[in-house]
Amino acid sequence: MDPITFSIIRHRLYRVIDEAVITLKHVSGSAITNEGHDLMVSLYRADGSLLMGGVGFLHHLTSAAEACKTIIRRFDGRINPGDVFLTNCPYTAALHTSDVYLVSPIHYEGKLVAWSACFVHVYDIGAMVPGGFSPDSRDIFTEGFSSPGLKLVDRGEMNTDIMDTILNMVRAPEMVALDLSSMIAANNVARERMVALVDKYGAKPVDQACQMLVDQSEQSFRERLRELPDGRWESRQYFDIEEETYHVLLAMTKKGDTLNFDFTGSSAQSKYGINCAYWAAWGGFFAPLFPLLCYDITWNDGVLRPISMIAPEGSIVNCTRPAPISLATVGAIQSVNNAACICISKMLSASEKYAKEATAVWHGSHFAIFMFGQNQKGQEAIGIMTETFGGAGGGRSFADGVDVGGEIPNPIGRMANVETTESHFPVRYLFRRATIDSGGPGKYRGGTGLEYAVQQHDSPDGGINYVVSGKGTKFSMSDGLGGGFPGAPCNFRWVHNNEAAEAGKNVNPFAMSPQQMTGEQQSISWGVFPLMDQDVLYVRSDGGGGYGDPLAREPEKIARDVREGNVSEGVGRDVYGVVLNAEGGVDAAASASARQAIRVGRLSQEAAE
Amino acid sequence: MSTRISASLVVNEKAEIACMACGHALGPSGEPWKEAARLSETTLKGAGGEPYSNAANVLLRRFYCPGCAALLDSETALAGDPFLNDVVHI
Repeated sequence: MDPITFSIIRHRLYRVIDEAVITLKHVSGSAITNEGHDLMVSLYRADGSLLMGGVGFLHHLTSAAEACKTIIRRFDGRINPGDVFLTNCPYTAALHTSDVYLVSPIHYEGKLVAWSACFVHVYDIGAMVPGGFSPDSRDIFTEGFSSPGLKLVDRGEMNTDIMDTILNMVRAPEMVALDLSSMIAANNVARERMVALVDKYGAKPVDQACQMLVDQSEQSFRERLRELPDGRWESRQYFDIEEETYHVLLAMTKKGDTLNFDFTGSSAQSKYGINCAYWAAWGGFFAPLFPLLCYDITWNDGVLRPISMIAPEGSIVNCTRPAPISLATVGAIQSVNNAACICISKMLSASEKYAKEATAVWHGSHFAIFMFGQNQKGQEAIGIMTETFGGAGGGRSFADGVDVGGEIPNPIGRMANVETTESHFPVRYLFRRATIDSGGPGKYRGGTGLEYAVQQHDSPDGGINYVVSGKGTKFSMSDGLGGGFPGAPCNFRWVHNNEAAEAGKNVNPFAMSPQQMTGEQQSISWGVFPLMDQDVLYVRSDGGGGYGDPLAREPEKIARDVREGNVSEGVGRDVYGVVLNAEGGVDAAASASARQAIRVGRLSQEAAE
Repeated sequence: MSTRISASLVVNEKAEIACMACGHALGPSGEPWKEAARLSETTLKGAGGEPYSNAANVLLRRFYCPGCAALLDSETALAGDPFLNDVVHI
């Protein structure tokens, strides 16, 4: 095939996905989809293998391939043009029940030529609590509707029995119907554009180009791996749920043009829904691998071929049915993301050519809050506070992490503006801003996380409820790199202003910081809580990990950090060894003395042995 | 001629792991090097500003070069957990 035709077809495939994503966002009515971009659309070969990874949460790219393969096996001989299949079973392919996959075969002149697949986190899935994250579930049977595969649309006709059954099992069925419709529409657009592509270039040339694309990715990725040094790198993630501590251990071994991810030694599966299944762990390390190692390589099955994984059965990264799993995406999967990010970045750091691509962990812990209740319009409002997608960039080998800068696993993640959230939920924000001192110190500091506080407002029921599925409150999950410190941990607080008011204290209705709040501040991290009357929910996200030695940071950057409210003067002095003068500039002599004192302190430490 | 093996370490011409900043040797290539570093092990709670204050009993380990005091690596750990050990084959 001539390279120009190949290149045109390759770019047309990207555009197919782009158009499908736009369609999905325009049809969906959920903030988590069209504000947070908790979505994914990709294209797959006729055998279900990944052809072209799209945007959104990247750990879905490979899991949706398994979804396609599952459907191919289950519906052998019954896959027809115009069909749309649904699966959301985490023990089959999906990550958790809320992330529903809709996959569609693409036929040309009666022959299956490709698949399109997409997901959204649906408005509700009928779990114990609204929104899908179900912290009180102790098995998958209480985590909502779950199917290993069913035909939702048959030859272009909606199977209304199935649709009605699903909608009968969820809250806010009109919103879930919209979610499902958005995915059907996205798949329809993908199919139409793919058929147009084949119409223009012919079935055989397009198939040839697709095969070349996969082979090209494999060849390019293997060449990249051969350029990197052989070795073995370790990382470790802790996370806390209630009073229990779990860990994900990863040893990544690179040999020649192969890469192995070994999770041996990770915690046994949990009674809480933070576990993930095999294919989720598999997708979990591809989320950082694709952008860090394959930023110029098409994300497809060719990248998967040099990779292997060891995930012990019954562990937190390969749990066995019926273990609860509804919080997998913010639980074990995110720890797999983080651990892989560090191991890959350590490997990159060992290469003169690729060291610049290394990064500390971005946004190591989602601080997901699901709200549910009647809103000010009398509607049933369910949904995530999209600040959880705000994130915090990790420090890189050449620059600071981006403040409130998102996360690696979802390059297009973002958060809604305050007004959007206030229009959907009966709440008002007291404040929302970047958090001082939250970025991990380093030569290049981690990006700051954010903090916000909300109070009920104009609620017909006097308030609303929320689900906290926080981890990373006791442990930093945004690891640093090359000596950089981890980012600060998360924090969730229930501020009991109602009790303070009953006790006769003045309650500040416009508190601009936790320090200005009157009520007792109770740290919370797991479960369902009320937000009633004058009570406040305060949330502080984690900061990004730092890169390199804080003493190597240019003093002028600390002066700027302090001026802009990202680093306090005390941390600038005590951690970075930078002393500022009365005007906020760097006191060079005092800073040199402070740094020397820190170095003397370091050398006075015992040897590690 | 030295070969880079991390953000802060190289392997020198004597096949030793050494500090990238000052060249201080930390042991033979391919072997664990952290035991040869100076170690500061403090609670994460005191590692930074107020946002670190709710960290639990997790430790922040910092490994310093005995020659120039450069911070070579850091890791979080629970007491008694082994050092993370990275090996690069030159």
